[in-house]
Amino acid sequence: MSLPALRLRGLRKTFPKVVAVAGVDLDVAQGEVFGLLGPNGAGKTTTLEVIEGLTEADSGEIEILGLTWARNGREIRSRIGVQLQSTSLFNKITPRESLDLYGSYYPKRRSTEDLLKLVQLEEKADAYHITLSGGQQQRLALAMALVNDPELVFLDEPTTGLDPQARRGLWDVVRSMKAEGRTVVLTTHYMDEAEALCDRLAIMDHGKVIATGTPASLIADLAIPSVVELTFDGPAPEPGAFATDLGLAVERRADLWEIPTPDPKALLPRLLEAAETRAVPFQQVHIRRATLEDVFLHRTGRSLRE
Amino acid sequence: MEWRLYSRDRVAMFWTMAFPVILLLGFGTIFRDSGGPKLAVVRVAALAPGPQDAALDQALGDLQLKVVALSRAEAEARWARGETAAQLEPDGEGYRLRLNSYLMAQAGATAGLVNQAWLVAQARLSGAPEPRRIPLQVESPGRKRSANYASFLLPGLLGLNLVSMGLFSVGMVNVSYREKGKFRRLAVTPLPKWIFLLGQVLHRLTVTVVQAAILLLVGYLVFGIANQGSFLNLALIMALGTGCFMAFGFALSGFAETSEGYAAISNLVFFPLMMLSGVYFTLDSAPVWLQHVVAGMPLAPFLKALRAVFNDGAGLAGHGLGLGIVATWGLAAFLLAVKRFRWA
Repeated sequence: MSLPALRLRGLRKTFPKVVAVAGVDLDVAQGEVFGLLGPNGAGKTTTLEVIEGLTEADSGEIEILGLTWARNGREIRSRIGVQLQSTSLFNKITPRESLDLYGSYYPKRRSTEDLLKLVQLEEKADAYHITLSGGQQQRLALAMALVNDPELVFLDEPTTGLDPQARRGLWDVVRSMKAEGRTVVLTTHYMDEAEALCDRLAIMDHGKVIATGTPASLIADLAIPSVVELTFDGPAPEPGAFATDLGLAVERRADLWEIPTPDPKALLPRLLEAAETRAVPFQQVHIRRATLEDVFLHRTGRSLRE
Repeated sequence: MEWRLYSRDRVAMFWTMAFPVILLLGFGTIFRDSGGPKLAVVRVAALAPGPQDAALDQALGDLQLKVVALSRAEAEARWARGETAAQLEPDGEGYRLRLNSYLMAQAGATAGLVNQAWLVAQARLSGAPEPRRIPLQVESPGRKRSANYASFLLPGLLGLNLVSMGLFSVGMVNVSYREKGKFRRLAVTPLPKWIFLLGQVLHRLTVTVVQAAILLLVGYLVFGIANQGSFLNLALIMALGTGCFMAFGFALSGFAETSEGYAAISNLVFFPLMMLSGVYFTLDSAPVWLQHVVAGMPLAPFLKALRAVFNDGAGLAGHGLGLGIVATWGLAAFLLAVKRFRWA
C-alpha cells in the first residue's frame, strides 16, 4: 500500500498568454490531506484541472492511484471525486435528485441518505437548488464529489466566498473524508484553512512549487519563527530611525509594524527602549508565532493576498 | 431527469406546448372562411341613378361582391381613413375605379370582378347574349380539401416547432451548459459523452412528439383537419426535419461563447427562415430569384413535403429533391457541429 495516491513529474501547461504550470513535481501519499496553497493566479486550479483530465498537459507525467489517463481514463474517473471551483446545477433540482443523478453515472455509489447526512443537508434534501444558501450549495458540491465513494478527492477552493461559520462546516466535512481514509487534494488561498486542514502542503507561485512540507515544518524552516507586532491607533508611521536603532528589518503594514525575530524574549527590552527613545506612539505589542503567510512572504517577498 | 426539469419550467412549457396551439386557434379562426375576407367595393352614389347603374349593381351582386353604397362625402372620408381597397365612382358617361396602393392584392382582385360585372351589365342593357365566365374552383395542390387556412397553417407550425426546438432548445442548452461549466462537471464523471448526447436527443424527440400530438389533436377537434396521408410518411418527414434542425442547433452552438451571443446568432438564422419559408403565408408574390433561394433553404422544401403528405395525402416520391435538400443541410450542419463542438 505504499503506492502514492498521486504522483506528478515535470507537469507543464502553457496557455496562449501565460505559463500556468511551469514544471510541477508532487507526491501525495494515500490517506493524507494535501493542500496547494498560493495566491490567485499561481496555477493551482490549472494544476488540478490537468490532474482531473479536464485540460491536457503540454508535457509531464501524471499517475493517479498508479493509473494514467492514456490507458485508464474511465477507471480513474470512477475512482476519483471532483469538486470544481464552481459547480453550477439546475435551479429547480433538489439535492436528493442531484446526488441520485450523479450517482447514476458511476458503477459504485454511496447511498444518497448517507451523503445527505454527512453534509447535514437532510432538511434541505427536497428543496430546489436555488433556495439553498451558498454554504449549503457548497456542501452539496462536496457530497457530489463523494457519490462514487472515491479513494481520491479533489477540492478546488472549497470555501472561497463563504462566511466563517459555513467554512467551519465545510472543514468538518473535509476532516470526515480523511477519517474515512480518503486522500484529499485541495487548493486554497487561505493560510488558516491550509494550517487547519492539511497534513502536508505545497506552496505555489507563478506556476511553480516553491516549498513543500507539513505546515509546522514549513514554519519551523523559517529562520525567524516569531514575529513581534506593534499596533498603532491609525496608519503606521515610517519606521526609519527606529529600525536603524534596532538593527533589524521592520515591515510596515496598514496599521502595524512587523518585526520577524528568532528570539522575541531577547528583543523585547531593546525594542521598548528604542520605542521610548524615538517616541513611537504604538498602542499594543503582540508576539506571535510565524504563520504560513510569513512563509509565503519570506519566500516570494509578496503577501498571499496581493 | 431532463424531462422532469423541463416540466418544472412552466415558461418553457408554455412556449413550446401552448403557444403553437394558440397561434393555430387564433389565425385559424380569424381566417376561417377559406377565401379570406370577402371582397368589397365602395360605390359612390350617382347623382341621378339611371338604368345603367341599376344593371351594374345587380351584376356586382351576382358576382358575390359586397357593395358598400355611400355618398361622395362619406366615401371620401372612408378613403381617407385607408379602409377602402377599391372605390367605384361615376365619371362622365361611365365609371372610374380608384385602387388603394396599400391594399393592392385585394384591390386588384376587386377590380377584376368589377370589370366583369360591367361587361355583364352592358350586355344585359344592350340585350346581347350574356358573356360566359370560366368557372373557378379553389383547392389545395393535391385536390383533397378546399384550402382552409388552418390546414395550411398547421403543418407550418409543426415545422416551425422543429426549427425552434433545434435552434433554441438544443443549441441554447449546449451553450449554457458549456458557459456555466455543467459540461465540465459531467466530464469528470465516467459517464460516456455519447450517452449524454443521446439523452439530450431522446428528450427533445419526446418533446417534439408530444408537441406534434397536441397540435394535431387540437387541429382535428377544432378545425376538423386530419392527416390525409400515411402516418408513416408523416413520421419520416418529421424525423428528417428533427434531425436536420437539431444538427443546426448543435452546429450554431459551436459558434457562441455566451448565451447572449447565441441568442443573437440563432435569431439571425431563425427569423429569415420563419418569414421566408412559408410558415404563415406563401411567397408566390415574391421575386423569382428569392423563391429560388428559399427553395434551397431547408425549411421551405420541408414544409412543402409536409403539406403535401398531411393535406393532400401525397407519397414521398415527388419530393425527393426537396427532402434531399433538407437532408443535405442536416448532414452539413452535423459535420459542422462535430467539427466545432467542444465541452468546455
